[in-house]
Amino acid sequence: MPAHVSEWLNAYHDGELQGNRLHQIEAHLAECDLCQAELESLESLSGLLHAIPAPEFTSPERFAAQVNLRLPHEQTKVSRKQILEISWWMIPVGLLGVWVFIVTSNILSDIIYEANNFGLLSGISNWLNFGSLNGVYLSSTLGQAGFLSGNGLSWAETAETFTRMSLPQISLQVSIALLYLSWSAIWWARHMRQERGPLLES
Amino acid sequence: MEPFTVARITAFSETDLITQAQHGERSAFSELVCIHAQGVRNVIYRMCGDPQIAEDAAQETFIQAWTHLPSYRHQTSLRNWLYRIAVNAATDLLRKEKRILPNALEDLQLQDPQLGPEALFFEEERTELIQKAILSLPEASRAVLVLREYEGMSYHEIADALDIPVGTVMSRLNYARKTLKDKLKQSLFVQVEVKHAGAR
Repeated sequence: MPAHVSEWLNAYHDGELQGNRLHQIEAHLAECDLCQAELESLESLSGLLHAIPAPEFTSPERFAAQVNLRLPHEQTKVSRKQILEISWWMIPVGLLGVWVFIVTSNILSDIIYEANNFGLLSGISNWLNFGSLNGVYLSSTLGQAGFLSGNGLSWAETAETFTRMSLPQISLQVSIALLYLSWSAIWWARHMRQERGPLLES
Repeated sequence: MEPFTVARITAFSETDLITQAQHGERSAFSELVCIHAQGVRNVIYRMCGDPQIAEDAAQETFIQAWTHLPSYRHQTSLRNWLYRIAVNAATDLLRKEKRILPNALEDLQLQDPQLGPEALFFEEERTELIQKAILSLPEASRAVLVLREYEGMSYHEIADALDIPVGTVMSRLNYARKTLKDKLKQSLFVQVEVKHAGAR
């Protein structure tokens, strides 16, 4: 005979089981006297609990009138909790918005740069080039001073360009991603704590 | 078709009443109180076993509901929302009125061994014994038991009302019933005997 199904008997008794689990329990109960007896004791317990009569309360209308007399004049407009809840959603959404803006700006910038290279934006190429320096001051200075030359100078220029142009953007995006992940982790932890029902923990 | 139509009309009316009450309409709120007064008082009475405390705590429940109604969201049914407030109100009141629970426990320990099988047939004594056994449960398990046994709520509805996972509902209910079965062994024995005698 398969193992007893005691842990499922409450759910079975309450009509909460469906599908395979329900068939499994029914099949087991047909064969197992012990589980059948346990189910009977659950049914008897329910019978006992329902044997307690409910008291005679005042009529709902009279009760409502009593409540009405005690109602405060003002309702809470928007609770502090609700504002906090909105903040919890708005901050990560804001971070995502900043991230999307940066990525879109980069993509647009690349498109304009490529279009300019193909001569599609000849009319405004001067404007695009205005103020655009290659940003390799340190490497150039080192090259002019004779400290770097050939491949070394080329690598230094590439590294300096990367550091000046790309690294801040990558750092910013990584920071935003980390912030978002941390925020999500805190939100999840908070949500799990609420799910456990702190007011009713025994 | 009739019950479906009536249920739909009631649901729509309740939604309208909630919206009006959220805008400060007291008469709409009074109608909501009339609809849910019995259920809320029953839940609290089963939680604390005292009709007067149940009346007081139910009034507190509806006052709190009125105060916080603007922040009520329609995803949760009003009944579940009210029951959650009611359970918390009952728990708070029981903690304040500590005299009820300790006495009940004391009486249960004193009386249970003295009750012979014959005495259990006396309705009043049996009712008192069962009531005290329920009151001796931890508040968290008691709340789940009350909502399931007396209000007939599904596990999902209880989980929604108490804001706990369904798994927790199941474990608290298992614990409550196991504890009650242990405490009410004699009564259960008589109940099973009566049932079997009836079947024969």
